[in-house]
Amino acid sequence: MSDLLANLWLGFSVAALPMNIGFCLLGALVGTLVGVLPGIGTVATVAMLLPITFGLPPVGALIMLAGIYYGAQYGGSTTSILVNIPGEATSVVTCLDGHQMARQGRAGAALSIAALGSFFAGCVATVLVAALGAPLTSLALLFGPAEYFALMVLGLIFAVVLAKGSVLKAVAMIILGLLLSMVGSDLETGAGRMTFDIAELSDGIGFTNVAMGLFGFAEIIRNLEMSQESRDIVKAKISGLMPTRQDLVDSSGSIARGTVLGSILGILPGGGAIVASFAAYTFEKRMSKHPERFGHGAIQGVAAPEAANNAAAQTSFIPLLTLGIPPNAVMALMVGAMTIHGIVPGPQVMIKQPELFWGMIASMWLGNLMLVIINLPLVGVWVSLLRVPYRLLFPSIIVFCCIGIYSINNSPTDVLIAAIFGLIGYWLVKHDFEPAPLVLAFVLGPLMEENLRRAMLIARGDATVFLTRPISGVLLAVAAILLIIAMLPMISKKREAVFVE
Amino acid sequence: MAEGAKTSPTGGIFREKIRGPRDFFGGLALIVIAALAIWASSNLPGQQGFAFGPGTAPRIFAGLLMFIGVVVMLMGLFIKGPPIESFAVRGPALVVVAILIFAATVRGIRVDLAGIPIRIPGLGMVPATFMAFMISMFASREFRLVESLLAAVAMTTFCVVLFVYVLGLPFQLWPMF
Repeated sequence: MSDLLANLWLGFSVAALPMNIGFCLLGALVGTLVGVLPGIGTVATVAMLLPITFGLPPVGALIMLAGIYYGAQYGGSTTSILVNIPGEATSVVTCLDGHQMARQGRAGAALSIAALGSFFAGCVATVLVAALGAPLTSLALLFGPAEYFALMVLGLIFAVVLAKGSVLKAVAMIILGLLLSMVGSDLETGAGRMTFDIAELSDGIGFTNVAMGLFGFAEIIRNLEMSQESRDIVKAKISGLMPTRQDLVDSSGSIARGTVLGSILGILPGGGAIVASFAAYTFEKRMSKHPERFGHGAIQGVAAPEAANNAAAQTSFIPLLTLGIPPNAVMALMVGAMTIHGIVPGPQVMIKQPELFWGMIASMWLGNLMLVIINLPLVGVWVSLLRVPYRLLFPSIIVFCCIGIYSINNSPTDVLIAAIFGLIGYWLVKHDFEPAPLVLAFVLGPLMEENLRRAMLIARGDATVFLTRPISGVLLAVAAILLIIAMLPMISKKREAVFVE
Repeated sequence: MAEGAKTSPTGGIFREKIRGPRDFFGGLALIVIAALAIWASSNLPGQQGFAFGPGTAPRIFAGLLMFIGVVVMLMGLFIKGPPIESFAVRGPALVVVAILIFAATVRGIRVDLAGIPIRIPGLGMVPATFMAFMISMFASREFRLVESLLAAVAMTTFCVVLFVYVLGLPFQLWPMF
């Protein structure tokens, strides 16, 4: 306990340096901006801003990037509530009740509950990251290659189970991601794999290019297709930003449940803020004595998902910082940012660079505090940004992405690859394939293959090692059970469909 | 989303046979990709004793992808599913052209296209950004000339200030011949 306090003290002394407070504020501001603006997501933004962090000190760079991720969770709710368009994929469900509240003249209450719920969740999640950091790090040191491989399999299976749509297609995306990650030089022998003798591919396909293509360019192409109807911004002046006592009583339970659920789903590999918000909303509706109020302005329907997405955004740092395994696409970009600064994510970070580890955690709490101020009194500023038409916004995003990708390696080929992945992403969406599992598998691919090969070598070619070692056996068993559970409804439903015919 | 988009009929004879065209063609594409991966990794050495060779993992995963592709395709054949949404051409094409123009002109590239060397001079960041912005503006149906020009100038200026002056990244700004 005293260790924890000493560590947090160290963290706050780093995070409170004026320069780091500045980076934290900058991250929170950019995150809110991205969250508020529909049509640009966190993955694309973090990818876009990666080159910007080249020149910064490592602690500052990571504090800023983290701020963007959880900041976007705050900003996303503003657009959902006021305009009924999710500013961020994580606040899709907030539209349902948040916008209804706004139409009933309770926009102020909805906004403040969303912000306060997020703040509460952020505080809890910060403590959780700090508390779980040390034990998980020591656990990670017990892991051998077989365990790491099994853990990553579990993570990918989670991503499959949590993806919407067909389980089989999500598995296909995972395998496609793994295959794509193998393009380039082989880790051990240096042999060029599936490069088609293209020199630019010998280093592999850059992750930022894939992420920017699938989440940045594909998203823009897709948005252009939809009619740009005028946005239905709630015109009435937002009044009564302070929630009433009744609001607080009604939503406190939801906030607490959302926080718990979000924290758990954030830690699980393959989870993250999007899943957390959906799960929290569904859970809250099931729990409620008045489920019929949901969708008609129930304050619980705003409080729970908003608390959950913010909690998940923060706890998803836990697997990254302790095990070195990114649980989602944004964390995968964080790996990129850390690598640029010569930091290898994993258990060593906490031991070798405690000021970085604890500084980042402490900055999360400070960032959450800033975000309440940024979002509540300044909400008018962000709303006025929504009046910027999309026809001006998307070319700006395109050129910004182009410059961002180009500047990482000064390579025009990278820009070209991102464009190709933009088209691939568009095609995938049209055929009901989800890009998120692909990206996660693409990131975990090299790590997985390396550990698989190492484990097989140590076991002298005996594949049963994954089942006979206890930790890895349990992890794989959980993965298998999850996959079967996820497949069951699909199989039975398809059967029904066949029988109906 | 799906309700608003237009749907295209899938080709003549197939129309009656394929019940879930999204799954069918999706699965078909997976099979093609898997076949390509198997072909591309066929020259790589495989298992050597206990050790994986460079070709082992790609072939395992390509084989798995092939299997899933077949299952998805068969499901598409027999299980009724929604039709494929029509693909927009103008938007995606202009966005991609804008990106390609940026990639080609920011530093200049040389490519050999079927033996014919093509050289595009490096125009630098300012013209590349401006052109990419203007071309992507055309992708929107609500194009307005004056507004676009002003926005392009503003965005180019912003990017130059941010990337070159604030962040100090080494960019060539103007054409060099």
